[in-house]
Amino acid sequence: MNQDFKWEWELSANKKRIQLGLRELWQYRGLIKSFARKELIAGYQQTIMGLSWLVIQPLLTTLFYLLVFSRIVKVSTDGVPPLLFYMSGNLLWGFFSDCLSSTMYTFKHNAHIFSKVYFPRLVVPISMIGTHMFRFSIQFILFILIYTFYWISGAVHPSIYMLWLPIVIIGTVTLAMGIGMIVSIYLARYNDLEPFMNFFLRLLMFVTPVVYPASLIPHSYKFLFWANPLIPLMEYFKAGFFFTKPVNLSYLFISFIITLLIFLCGLIYFKKKELSVMDTI
Amino acid sequence: MSDIILRVENVSKYYKLGILGSSSLKKDLQSWWRTNISKKPIPIPNEKKESKDHIWALKEINFEINEGDCLGIVGKNGSGKSTLLKTVSRIVPPTTGSIKGRGKITSLLEVGTGFHPELSGRENLYLNGQILGMSKKEITSKLDEIIDFSGVERFLDTPVKRYSSGMYVRLAFSVAAHLNTDILIVDEVLAVGDSEFQKKCIGKMQDVTQKSGKTILFVSHNLLALGNLCNKAICLSKGNLVDFGDSKSVISNYLNKEKVEILEQNFQLTDTYVGNEFIAVHSISLKPQYNDFNIIDTSTPLLINFSFLNKMLGSDNLSVHVLLYYYGGDCVFETGSIPTVYANGKINGTCLIPGNFLNDGHYYITISFIRNSSKVLYEFTEALVFDVADYREDKSSFSKWNGAVRPHFPVRLEETLM
Repeated sequence: MNQDFKWEWELSANKKRIQLGLRELWQYRGLIKSFARKELIAGYQQTIMGLSWLVIQPLLTTLFYLLVFSRIVKVSTDGVPPLLFYMSGNLLWGFFSDCLSSTMYTFKHNAHIFSKVYFPRLVVPISMIGTHMFRFSIQFILFILIYTFYWISGAVHPSIYMLWLPIVIIGTVTLAMGIGMIVSIYLARYNDLEPFMNFFLRLLMFVTPVVYPASLIPHSYKFLFWANPLIPLMEYFKAGFFFTKPVNLSYLFISFIITLLIFLCGLIYFKKKELSVMDTI
Repeated sequence: MSDIILRVENVSKYYKLGILGSSSLKKDLQSWWRTNISKKPIPIPNEKKESKDHIWALKEINFEINEGDCLGIVGKNGSGKSTLLKTVSRIVPPTTGSIKGRGKITSLLEVGTGFHPELSGRENLYLNGQILGMSKKEITSKLDEIIDFSGVERFLDTPVKRYSSGMYVRLAFSVAAHLNTDILIVDEVLAVGDSEFQKKCIGKMQDVTQKSGKTILFVSHNLLALGNLCNKAICLSKGNLVDFGDSKSVISNYLNKEKVEILEQNFQLTDTYVGNEFIAVHSISLKPQYNDFNIIDTSTPLLINFSFLNKMLGSDNLSVHVLLYYYGGDCVFETGSIPTVYANGKINGTCLIPGNFLNDGHYYITISFIRNSSKVLYEFTEALVFDVADYREDKSSFSKWNGAVRPHFPVRLEETLM
């Protein structure tokens, strides 16, 4: 027997380096697509409205916000037509919270699969993000249609800030996925995190300018702009469509740095724990 | 000489036991502090005693297998078979040691992993195949073969939630049977499905090893199937590797060692009844009605006596079933009492297995307590274990008598004069 025999892979108890396994992930791209498709289709199987729920849901939420915040509470929208204002806020916020609340269940909801077969666990959060990307784009198209209508009638004008749009969307996904990956590991062990995260998401929505403009935040609370990375993202998202005065660019940079840090921590922690977490679930 | 494809070196696996609760955070922080701040290695891999709060499911396992081998893994429940398979298939990391290998490894620890009840058979087929590591193209190219093997062609576009369990298993196994992999890990999946389909699956697996030279790791309680399929085997006992070698010899060693006769179990003397909140078994015994010699042979009637305490409340009826199994194999028969409402208290029961009925072999008896003819309240497995020796009136033939049972049904011959 030849001793200089080459092993193709090794599973060892004490791994020194954490490998991200990007090439392996690429081999599983088909599975990512299938999971995303399953998530999308299965959710609307045996419903009367089918995929039109994708459109109805945000529309109903927007109308509800319109009624409560614009007609009853009478919050300012900085001169933006209320329908568009609430719709844009809800669009990005919904995307963020959907991405976060689905990636954080990666281990908890897939334990039955993870205990039976190996594949890179990152497949699941990525496919979740994919599903929500698709839903987001449908809702975004709907938003653009309504926006165009307002634009033609002269009520709103797009601005140069629209160029930030792709980066803002990427930032939102990255932030949601980063938090989601960290939480997913702990959620597998401590169920307490589930009510906590629901609570946290609800509170986060109120400290993020979703139903009110950022200009309403008083000067003494300016720290929120860098403490909550979602605020600059939300503001730059809206600024592209309605030329209101956007927040300082430095806040956006701080937001990106925080987002990137959270994402990297999340990714490394996720890769480190992706297998051993199954011992504790 | 074929090459080594998989090597398992010093693999141990540690599990913490107990319920996670409010104290688990404190314990986690303590162990985190010990491992990361004060750098004390915990757990200590050498200290392999059993304790209440942890268990070593595997203890320094070493073995290697060559390309084209089919390795069977035998051992009692809880001996670490499944943990070993999970470790080798990368589902759980080993606590110590390493596993090295070549080629693509696929594990089949369950049929139909990731099946989604709302999706159609076809969609699930793709999804399941991809979870097991096949590419979409690969599945498409084998689609006809897979569908043909499954035999559920007509229902392919129906959501699998409407499938019968048999159809479900067929579809799921069909995907698995067409996996293109170098090392296949199979755990007990053949225990599901009807016997005809089981045979088909075993045949398919034989094909896989013998024709295409793939390597298989196989766990099954069906020692017969395991012996036929595998050329090598290992035996695990309480997490230790106790035997490694030719599958036939490992299996026979295992059976000989495990072979214990239990003709009586009496819990009244010690007051440690087996059971649960509904049933407490007091005693069970097997009284062979010996004829000439004190040996149980195929002609010996066997009387089973048992007594238990019925603690089930309410007016539900109760029946007791007696199940006879081949040791390490299938159920020979199940027979039960008529469901009746009993008052709480001690109940005695008997069951007579007539002589000239069982074939020779090693058997065990399981007693099952059933409420309302449907819900199993308690199952006392391997309550009795015994051997039935061969008995021949005609001593001229010594070959093994065929069949699961050996009844004396009259076969009459009549000569007709031409």
